[in-house]
Amino acid sequence: MPKIKKTAKSQTPQDRSVVVRLENQLKRALADYHNLERRVDEERKLLAQLSSAILIEKFLPVLDNLENAQKHLNDQGLEMVIKQFKDILATEGVEEIVAEGAQFDPHFHEATEVVEGQKDGLVVKVIRKGYKIDSKVLRPTQVAVSRTKVDQKAELMSNA
Amino acid sequence: MSKIIGIDLGTTNSVVAVVEAGKPKVIHSAEGRNIVPSVVDPTKHIVGDVAKRQMVVNPKTTIFSIKRLMGRKYKDPEVQRDLKWLPYEIKSGREGMAVVSVEGKDYTPQEISAMVLGKMKADAEAYLGTKVEKAVITAPAYFDDSQRQATKQAGEIAGLKVERIINEPTAAALAYGLEKSHAHTIAVYDLGGGTFDISILELGEGVFEVKATNGDTHLGGDDFDSKIVEFLASEFKKESGVDVEKDRQALQRLRDAAEKAKIELSTTTEAEISIPYLTADQTGPKHLQLKLSRAKLESLVGDLVDKTFGPVRDCLKDAKIDPKKVDEVILVGGMTRMPLVTGKVKEFFGKEPHKGLNPDEVVAVGAAIQGAVLGGEMKEMVLLDVTPLTLGIETLGAVSTPLIPRNTTIPTSKSEIFSTASDNQTSVEINVLQGERPMASDNKSLGRFILDGIPPAPRGVPQVEVAFDLDANGILNVKAKDKATGKEQSIKITGSTGLTPEEIERMTKEAEEHAKEDETKKDGIETRNRADTLVYQAEKALKDAGDKVPADVKTEVEEKIKALKEIQSSAPIDEVKTKTDELSSVLSKIGESMYQKPGSEKTEGTEEPKGADGQTEEDKAKKDSDSGDVQEGEVVKE
Repeated sequence: MPKIKKTAKSQTPQDRSVVVRLENQLKRALADYHNLERRVDEERKLLAQLSSAILIEKFLPVLDNLENAQKHLNDQGLEMVIKQFKDILATEGVEEIVAEGAQFDPHFHEATEVVEGQKDGLVVKVIRKGYKIDSKVLRPTQVAVSRTKVDQKAELMSNA
Repeated sequence: MSKIIGIDLGTTNSVVAVVEAGKPKVIHSAEGRNIVPSVVDPTKHIVGDVAKRQMVVNPKTTIFSIKRLMGRKYKDPEVQRDLKWLPYEIKSGREGMAVVSVEGKDYTPQEISAMVLGKMKADAEAYLGTKVEKAVITAPAYFDDSQRQATKQAGEIAGLKVERIINEPTAAALAYGLEKSHAHTIAVYDLGGGTFDISILELGEGVFEVKATNGDTHLGGDDFDSKIVEFLASEFKKESGVDVEKDRQALQRLRDAAEKAKIELSTTTEAEISIPYLTADQTGPKHLQLKLSRAKLESLVGDLVDKTFGPVRDCLKDAKIDPKKVDEVILVGGMTRMPLVTGKVKEFFGKEPHKGLNPDEVVAVGAAIQGAVLGGEMKEMVLLDVTPLTLGIETLGAVSTPLIPRNTTIPTSKSEIFSTASDNQTSVEINVLQGERPMASDNKSLGRFILDGIPPAPRGVPQVEVAFDLDANGILNVKAKDKATGKEQSIKITGSTGLTPEEIERMTKEAEEHAKEDETKKDGIETRNRADTLVYQAEKALKDAGDKVPADVKTEVEEKIKALKEIQSSAPIDEVKTKTDELSSVLSKIGESMYQKPGSEKTEGTEEPKGADGQTEEDKAKKDSDSGDVQEGEVVKE
């Protein structure tokens, strides 16, 4: 550590520049520290919300497949299981995104297919259900969207 | 002074990072992801994931891979080639430069890229909580002057002062700190989502020079995914007889599963792909279920990996360097996570490539470091030391109790309350230890001292605060203070971090090797300590209760005490544990029986607090405390 003379009178310009440099380093370190404190706090809150969202998202494909199975099996017992699953989701603030028949909105829907249709930009088919948690998108709905004119290149791109 | 952010403006994805307190940190987007798709819809002013989701609906207005057109003329062969497959309209604009035409309006690639950069800027501002005005942006090593200028302009349009454009391979080298190494030649192997780039850098006097570059602008992770999807589709056809090629929905599911399996197989040797109800025909629903081994995956994509080595060889030839003469190899891009890729790279160059950092983020990290250097932050940064080995004291049973764990940044201080091990113990010996082993004798003793004058009290009652203070120069001050009398004693130890790197490594290695047996040993000691404490408490409880305890309970407890006392220091641990538990459960009967009056209800749960682990303070080690056999330590009176 550099030696700095005690009294202001005996400080040389060199000393003063050292003091200024050290002050800057200190301020920078403190500033970064305060910012880190703030961020740690925010991220902790975010993490609490996020971790259940991440976990729930992992289970959504299971729900998808249960519903797929039900389409084929049409079983009363299975219906009850699906309802049970959905009830639990509801308690966590998870809601299905209403998509069919709605205007296509990329904030909530992901277009995987384009079909020719009467109206433009309407969701004509839900390919995979989407869900939101506390109004934020958990998983966007995969949809087929109608266009009055379908572009050939669009067909190509959807495979890219 | 505002921070200079580092942005990796990629063809498929972009990443932004910044240096804080000397460490680079990748900034997540508003959507919570670290990477942002380089996709823009200028008519709707949407960027990133949201824009990507509507790509198939608005192929003419959703602009992606704009980097392929950056700074190029319309007549450029690359542009003419990409024209054929890009779904949006590309025209010749001012001075013959390639521009995109969206709903009648022309946009330069700079303007499109500026929208991506604008989002990165906004996300950075949200993260940092301040305005961001300056950035370092990366560009491929093969970008010419016109392309670099365009990149700089894009930044300016986004409201950023572009302090520098640095090469992507150089950024990767910076991220790995290679500018400080003695490496002369560095190879950067970058296999991303859509492109492959190989660069040879030469390091001289702290400056990187690009000797040669090569690559394949249409080879990347997406091609690997396609091969897997092809395989899955053909297997499915074999099994079920159904061809899913025309089934958009099924293909999508296959694609998702293929990507997931590919990622899994980087860490496991077999992945199970399970897609129930993939499709259906007249015979009913059809499921896909198969196991994909890593070996099979490697056979599917092997020739794609081999394809990358063509450009690699050409590049080395241009640089006039033999592959084995390359000093360092760096891996960039998500696909390099694949063991097949790292294996082939290692084989080719004859050395282990650097891959410790996230390959998707390494370029942005390097840009952030460059930004910090330009902003003078790295120079002004105070380099802090860490204490290389754990510091602690010796406690009951010759156990080493840590106070400051190793790799703690110094200066630092820590204090904890300890207590006496025996009744009427009036002094404690503080033995300061350095090392990772759980037993005191296996660690290095840095010094000892004694604090006496503790008022006589039952064991575990006195409160002795032991404080460790380690200053920036590595000087350790240890102080012990009796909270009752205020009496304190201390010791100053210099050179507690003065071990050579070899010694530190040796000690750490030894600790790792002996970890299991040390753990067992420590466990043994703690079990015996617990037994000892319980016996003490049981005897005390009986004494305090006196006549109030019914005779049969008293006998039972005495029996258990005797049984435990007999074996506590000699028997194997499991036996001691069992006998401790037995005494513990019998002990609660004392309280139970005292609360019961004849004719009253039997209540559950009124137990005397269990002694076994109920202590809030740790026992203090003291050899032969009762006999007063005291050892002298170096003492510095404050």
